[in-house]
Amino acid sequence: MMTGRIAEGEPVIEVSDLRKTYDETVAVDGVSFDIRAEEVFALVGPNGAGKTTTVEILECLRTPSGGSATVLGRDVSTESRAIKADIGVVPQSFHTFDRLTVRENVALIRRMYEEGLAVDTVLEELDLAEWAGTPFRSLSGGLQRRTGMAMALVGDPAVLFLDEPTTGLDPDARRTTWEQIERLAERGTSVVLTTHYMEEVERLADRAALLLEGSIEAIDTVPNLIDRYGGSIKVVVRNDGGVTGGGSSDDSAMREILDDAATEVYRTETDDLVGLFEDRERAQETYSRLHDQGDGRAIDLISAGMEDVFLRLAGATPDARGKLE
Amino acid sequence: MKRIVALLMALLRDWSRSRETVFFVVLFPIILLVIFSTVFASSAPSFGLVVQNEDVGPDGEPTNLSATFVENLESIDPLEVKHIDADRNLTEWSQGSDGSGRRVLVLPDGFAEDVRAQSARVRIAIIRDTVARFQDDMNDSERANVQRGLEQAEQEVATNVTGATLQFYAPPDDQSAAVVRGILSTVLAEFNQRSIGVEEPPVSLESGTIGSAGLTATDYYLPAFIATLVLINGVMTVPGVIAGFHQDGTLKRLVATPLRKRDWILANVLQQSLLALVLTGVMLVVAAILFGVNAIPGPLSIALVLLGAIAFSALGMTLGSLLPNPDAATSLGGSIAFPMMFLSGVFWEIDIMPETLQTIGRLMPLYQFHRGLRRLLIVGTTDGVWPAFAMLGGMALVFVGLAIRLTRWRDFDE
Repeated sequence: MMTGRIAEGEPVIEVSDLRKTYDETVAVDGVSFDIRAEEVFALVGPNGAGKTTTVEILECLRTPSGGSATVLGRDVSTESRAIKADIGVVPQSFHTFDRLTVRENVALIRRMYEEGLAVDTVLEELDLAEWAGTPFRSLSGGLQRRTGMAMALVGDPAVLFLDEPTTGLDPDARRTTWEQIERLAERGTSVVLTTHYMEEVERLADRAALLLEGSIEAIDTVPNLIDRYGGSIKVVVRNDGGVTGGGSSDDSAMREILDDAATEVYRTETDDLVGLFEDRERAQETYSRLHDQGDGRAIDLISAGMEDVFLRLAGATPDARGKLE
Repeated sequence: MKRIVALLMALLRDWSRSRETVFFVVLFPIILLVIFSTVFASSAPSFGLVVQNEDVGPDGEPTNLSATFVENLESIDPLEVKHIDADRNLTEWSQGSDGSGRRVLVLPDGFAEDVRAQSARVRIAIIRDTVARFQDDMNDSERANVQRGLEQAEQEVATNVTGATLQFYAPPDDQSAAVVRGILSTVLAEFNQRSIGVEEPPVSLESGTIGSAGLTATDYYLPAFIATLVLINGVMTVPGVIAGFHQDGTLKRLVATPLRKRDWILANVLQQSLLALVLTGVMLVVAAILFGVNAIPGPLSIALVLLGAIAFSALGMTLGSLLPNPDAATSLGGSIAFPMMFLSGVFWEIDIMPETLQTIGRLMPLYQFHRGLRRLLIVGTTDGVWPAFAMLGGMALVFVGLAIRLTRWRDFDE
């Protein structure tokens, strides 16, 4: 049996043909994947795709209907208490004792673990020290979520589960949360993240799995997913309206370069010149040549992103609430 | 153990910072105690009775005998007698705003005449009976004279007399009507005796107190309050609180740690037990200061309060685990607590209920709990308290076990 930390790259979570059904509804349909030590892994999908059900099975909060799953080498169905001692959880709908202060809530969770971090250390790390004496119910949504993060970290977990950690947060609170997750990743904590924000996946995740209707549609590193499913890379020569002396009609040299290298070239309604590339290196080279040739116009290299991956695989992108548009 | 202590402290802190909870658990019982004790500890109760004396002479004044009877009624302490005119329509009067809900006694027209005639017939019957007993000691002539005298007396008394009948009316919801009827029966019995010449009744009754002399109403009601509040807290408040933790995600957050289910149950039950002790202490101090109640809890009464708190809060934990909606859980608790309160005879003697309900009531844990507490706290005896320990102990074991078994530690919303 494996215990404690696992060497980088080794699997901390192994899921095989995992299934979960509720009466007639199939929530998770034969999902298989593994998550490696010290990586940030994102489960991506719209609402109802089975992300939360999957992570709750791994958190030992839900019983699988079939298949198998291990966390740190332990079976989620039979060794839940040992698993819980080594994981941290921030549930999607997080709540705790309303009238207890931030410090009291974090200290309570600390007492649930045999070993862990000092409460004040965690509060300082998450910039919560100045709120330590504030009752939980008096905190903003962002600070409440941060308190949840502190409660998840105080047991010094080997694996941290974050279920939709930034849903409902304002942009500032979201950025702060991302920075904290990045710090955790740098410290070597394995993070399992569920989200429907593609920007979050691109910024935080090493690998991602796209879940649709309970099944994994694609799983890989984020760059690989974008390469495989994101579509073309765009090189755009902006129309400057003649300010730089060229004018929209005087971009023939640029057009020639693009025609030579791109798989397709077209002009937009605003008279921008766009070249499409399937190969990232070729796009990069062309971008450099255009800069060398340049007459002062703005030239952009626009990579495809997870948004494009999602659009390609799901046929639509999720809105702010996680529903497919 | 450290997890139970940590949770217990968190639950107590969270509880103590809620003003509403502190009001309902500490102040509300004190207010109840003060109200009930003031009501029941007041001087002798008073029962209103309206008398309509229809037995009036030609001058419109009540006849002497009916007036004497009414004076007798007025001399009875618990009765507060008022009068309405003889010619007033009783139905109309009772429907009036000032007449609704009153008890009425009607002395019918001819009351005095009927009483006199009936008392004469009774006296004649008594003399006949006496003569029959001693006829062997009389000669024929004496017997004939007595016989003749009695027949003459009988002829002077109307033959169709059956005695006077008073009418007593009370509203259907009048809970004191039976008491007033009892008082009237006693007054009538004495009046009947005097009307046939019995001045010194052969048998009379003297009453006093035994065992718990000097105890007040508060002494008797205090254990009932404590038992009832422990019941309400455990069976009605706990299910709502537990279901609330379940619904808002607090429990889910705790379940995601290595906390054991049994530790969660025990911490909550311990919290309720400590609250029950605090509640008991507060009520005893208030009862001592305001009403002079001298009830110092011993180890057994403390143990019984603890056992009651464990039993009822474990039942509450079980209910809270069955229904994760706080409102539904509280309602379910209420549907158990209220019938138990009414059936267990905590606020009135169980003997006034129908026999079947008495049997059911005596099987209720609240019945045993409050009887046991009364004996230990107030009467100062251990006689008859063991059924309470046995019933509450058994209940505590069963419901702690059920709560541990039924509380979900996975699959909350399935």
